[in-house]
Amino acid sequence: MRSSLLFKLVLLLAVIGILSSGLTGYYVYSANRALLVSAAQATLMGAVKDLNRRLGISVEQATEDVLMLSRLVQVDRALSMPDGPERERAKDELAQAFASMLALHPEYLQVRLIGSADNGLELVRMDSAGGLTLRVAGDALQEKAHYPYMFDTLALPAGQVYQSAITVNHERSSHDAEGVPSIMLATPLPRHDGQPGGLVVINVDLNKLIGPVRADLPRGYRFYLANSWGDFLVHPDPGQTFGFDRGRRVFMQDSFPAAKPLFEHGANTQVVNGLDQPELAPGSIMAFVRQPFGLGVGNDFLVTGLVEPLDSVLANAQPLGLRIMHIVLACSVIAILLAVIFARALLRPINTLAEAATRFSDTRQHQPLPVERDDEIGVLARNFDSMQRQLHQHMANLYDNQRELDYLAHHDALTGLANRSLFFQRLEQRLAGVAGDQRAFAVLFVDLDRFKDINDRFGHALGDQVLQIVARRLLHGVRSSDVVARLGGDEYLVLLSGIASETALGELLDKLMRSIGEPISVDGVSLNVGASIGYSLYPRDGDNAEDLVNRADHSMYRVKAMHHQTS
Amino acid sequence: MLVLCVLILACGGVSAEALLRVLAWPGYADPDVVKAFEQRYKARVEVTFVDSDEGLWSRMNAKEGPRFDVLAANTAEMQRYYAAGLLKPLDATSLPNLARQLPRFRQRQRIPGLEQLGVLYAVPFTYSTMGIIYDKRQFASPPDSMNVLWDPRFRHKVLDFNGGQHNFSFSALASGIEHPFRLSNDERARLTRRLIDLRRNVLTFYNLPEEATELFVRHKVAVMFGNYGTQQLNSLRRAGADVGYALPKEGVLAWLDCWAMTRFAADPMLAQQWINYMLEPSVSSLLPKRQGLANTLVESEDLQDKAKVLWLQPVEDAGRREALWQRIMAGDRPGSF
Repeated sequence: MRSSLLFKLVLLLAVIGILSSGLTGYYVYSANRALLVSAAQATLMGAVKDLNRRLGISVEQATEDVLMLSRLVQVDRALSMPDGPERERAKDELAQAFASMLALHPEYLQVRLIGSADNGLELVRMDSAGGLTLRVAGDALQEKAHYPYMFDTLALPAGQVYQSAITVNHERSSHDAEGVPSIMLATPLPRHDGQPGGLVVINVDLNKLIGPVRADLPRGYRFYLANSWGDFLVHPDPGQTFGFDRGRRVFMQDSFPAAKPLFEHGANTQVVNGLDQPELAPGSIMAFVRQPFGLGVGNDFLVTGLVEPLDSVLANAQPLGLRIMHIVLACSVIAILLAVIFARALLRPINTLAEAATRFSDTRQHQPLPVERDDEIGVLARNFDSMQRQLHQHMANLYDNQRELDYLAHHDALTGLANRSLFFQRLEQRLAGVAGDQRAFAVLFVDLDRFKDINDRFGHALGDQVLQIVARRLLHGVRSSDVVARLGGDEYLVLLSGIASETALGELLDKLMRSIGEPISVDGVSLNVGASIGYSLYPRDGDNAEDLVNRADHSMYRVKAMHHQTS
Repeated sequence: MLVLCVLILACGGVSAEALLRVLAWPGYADPDVVKAFEQRYKARVEVTFVDSDEGLWSRMNAKEGPRFDVLAANTAEMQRYYAAGLLKPLDATSLPNLARQLPRFRQRQRIPGLEQLGVLYAVPFTYSTMGIIYDKRQFASPPDSMNVLWDPRFRHKVLDFNGGQHNFSFSALASGIEHPFRLSNDERARLTRRLIDLRRNVLTFYNLPEEATELFVRHKVAVMFGNYGTQQLNSLRRAGADVGYALPKEGVLAWLDCWAMTRFAADPMLAQQWINYMLEPSVSSLLPKRQGLANTLVESEDLQDKAKVLWLQPVEDAGRREALWQRIMAGDRPGSF
């Protein structure tokens, strides 16, 4: 019973301890994961924006170069002068300027001056060819009026720069540019005389443009770029890029449903993580940013995306997770220990009370109780203590009453001597006691002489006083180990436990008779009361109480008869 | 022993549902259509979709992967598959729905690629013409000739598709050449010059249908070669263009996709049941409804009975045409050819 309560209490406390530490641990763990993911998300979004900014700067650089070249005086000469050596010289000088531009920027594939006359015939053209610069001239120059970078640029006001869509360049004999994803940057060159002008155009290699940016990305980041239709332009798997070029389109919004809002609802940024939206970004964190770009067809904006595996972010949560698990385990052990200690401490006073109750009911012994405590247990202990004391008091009273009753049952109310019943008890005990002890003992039968006359003459009250005085004299005359009893009326019995000899007995009888026979002074009246004493001896006169008392009685009558004769 | 084998095979055939592997283009075998076939013929159908002729060819010739029972490809491609020995002849009596087709498609000997040496190999299923799309606001009456693309009145108001094969073919038609798919070297050289002239007359050459729509609207284009056929009309009209569709009197190029049975067909009966099922009115009628494509059972509005149609055929030298086209496209001048 006690151990079951202890077990239940330990179990309850331990479960509460383990649960609370476990729940706290789990909460901390998941909060930490969420925190890590949210931080990674912000970092990723920052990285995308930074990437866009750097790409923007690179494109801006090329834009500056286009404008710078368009301001060269040779450009105007090559466009507007009539054919002749001076125009040729201007073209040669431009070719040199274009060549140094190409040499300076490895990402530039072609730098060209194209006239709008003659179906967009190229006037000066420098190509990157196997990494070297190559001037294309004469019959090898081509007509380009049907390319969007021509007619879209010519439609722009002077000083503006056209950005083409990012496409794979299929212009044959364009050397390094052929088959390469690229952007055309061009600025129109209008003529003031109303004659057809032209344009300066730089062809920029997309991969070389993004190369340094991509190289700077943290490991594990995957970089994606799509045009405004969603066709991938950059993808870790090059087979997924420029699908429109092969009649097999692969769209970012299909591969990443998370990017859909950027294409369909004009959202500017979108960031999702696989922890909160596993259906949108399974096992990863994704950030997409829509960036305005260019002027061409399918070319209003680009969507840049970075994708980071969720595992690599959450890997940082693993050590903490492990540590939390250890802490939770340790806390659980501590909780169990504390539960045992606490439960025992809680139960100890209750056990003390229970023990006290058991001991009290068994032995009536008063146990120390924790009455000094000022909690509920203290109250219980104090109540129990006072109850114990009350019980104790009641028991003592009861015991006293019983002792008194017992006394009354075995004593004579008038003289305080043993009564007949107690006398016989003691006599029997003596008889039982002498089984091994054959020492003789005597029973005296004392009867007062002329006591009836005293009663008749002076009244019962005085007679009673006489009886009390006689009782005291008898007690006084024997040893304390002997028993003096009043048999009733004026008869007394005495049990003399040890008799040295019959002579000694005779002397004692004489002494007792003299003592009783001395005058008694009561209420100013002097009285002479005599006594007749008979006796019986054990074992001579009998071996049982009845016989011994009867013999003593008969002996007393004989003595009384003698007294009558003598008086 | 033999009896035992036959018994085992028969039991196997009864216990396992027959499986039909179909190689087709998106929209040709929608799930509801497939399910109805499976229930009717107690067979299981696996459909694999392709999105290009080259994809189809590589699937058919893949060393690994499943062997297909039936495929859908255009008439020009069918001749290539036949030449490679990949097709199995069809039994016209197993295809009662052939009788439902328009007369134009029942005269099979007139459509190259359907029959070889008088034996049926391919059944027409759907087609699209490559007509002229024009801006009704810039034309009083519909243009009736391919030569409208060269018309200097529409200089830089013309769009053409960026592709060598069809450009040589329709230039041949426009120049009155009898066999646009069988050009001699001289004819090709002459047409190269014609295509340079076309290049100088167009605004640009498009690749994608949505690109064509955007260019058409933005640059107020007057007339365009409709490489993607009538499907382009819907997209243009949605973009706000008031466009018409015309078939040139010289004849219109058209692709015609057909069903054929491969030589791997394990159950020719089931394969032909599939082909016949494709010609059910309930199935074929889904083509105009869902895909904006014509079927072979009902005359479509843009292809009148009298129109001259040139179903695509393999050209004399696709590589040569493409190489020439790349140079034309890049802007090479006549002198450099």
